[in-house]
Amino acid sequence: AELGMRGPKKGSVLKRRLVKLVVNFLFYFRTDEAEPVGALLLERCRVTQEEPSGFSISFLEDPERKYHFACGSEAQCQEWMGALRRASYEFMRRSLIFYRNEIQKMTGKDPLEQFGISEEARFQLGGLKA
Amino acid sequence: MKLNERSVAHYALSDSPADHTGFLRTWGGPGTAPTPSGTGRRCWFVLKGNLLFSFESRESRAPLSLVVLEGCTVELAEAPVSEEFAFAICFDAPGVRPHLLAADGPAAQEAWVKALSRASFSYMRLVVRELESQLRQARHSLALHRHSSWKAIGSHCKPQAPDRRSPGLENGHSPSKDCSPVDSVEERGSEPAGQGLAEWQGPASLFLDRRQSPAFPETSYFSTLHNWYGQEITELRQRWLRRVWGSRPAREKQDGP
Repeated sequence: AELGMRGPKKGSVLKRRLVKLVVNFLFYFRTDEAEPVGALLLERCRVTQEEPSGFSISFLEDPERKYHFACGSEAQCQEWMGALRRASYEFMRRSLIFYRNEIQKMTGKDPLEQFGISEEARFQLGGLKA
Repeated sequence: MKLNERSVAHYALSDSPADHTGFLRTWGGPGTAPTPSGTGRRCWFVLKGNLLFSFESRESRAPLSLVVLEGCTVELAEAPVSEEFAFAICFDAPGVRPHLLAADGPAAQEAWVKALSRASFSYMRLVVRELESQLRQARHSLALHRHSSWKAIGSHCKPQAPDRRSPGLENGHSPSKDCSPVDSVEERGSEPAGQGLAEWQGPASLFLDRRQSPAFPETSYFSTLHNWYGQEITELRQRWLRRVWGSRPAREKQDGP
């Protein structure tokens, strides 16, 4: 979508950018260009509502440094915020661990065995950090 | 192209689980010849999610390179002269050279190829979707099973209630409606569990339902499930009470939540 975007530096100006969510990256383009101006990796980030139709993305290691986005409507803002919060690989990993655990409790079987990945360290419940 | 490099580096070095780590020899990188030659450069590699980082050493604080593992396949490769255990990350995109890497031994090579093949976001998404659908089915069968056990318990009370209840149950959480248990509870008018953590979403809503669920899986999901089953048990009980003309259902055992 085309959104207004403002970088984290002091005194940065709101610019129109074509913003595209691809897996766990948020790409942004000048509206008439094919190559992206830049990208944000959406891991360990926080999406916060700033105004009724605006939100910001900041990263856990520096929460005051915010990338601001202005949407066309509150509905669009909510839609983007939801999508961005679900976009990280870490979120999917947690979901996978959760589902695996639930299925195991209900059926007594490990659903990851069919994929041959049940032993992988990254899917163990102990690795889940809030 | 700009990238939020500082944050990316933080993620690389953070204590979030690494999916695979180890030393590999690499030939890519600035200042190297266009065709692989020599023994390559030995770097410390860290795979996190769909991102492969390389570092000069295990103690380095800044990554040397990042490869995003989307739209690629991993294949065993013909190593440069006298190099064994090599493999390549090949990209779909035109004009992008395969990324050549070599492990220290056959076990490491196999482990890396496996790990990298499964690293993509798309693969992860596939697995999560599959598990979601399995969980939905498991919940559905569990609910039907509970009906059979309620039948057995109430058999001296002539239970027709459970039979008639089944269609109701279907409405409550039929798979075709794509509802998570949180939403089923909401539809019955009982309060949704989990006021919880506003910024996080329960994964139950990830693909099943576009609406946001405030429930965080680890805690409030269970109380939601309890509310949900508890509701059904309450209704069933009321019907039994009506049928049995007020005689106390002394032997009624709740194996619910």
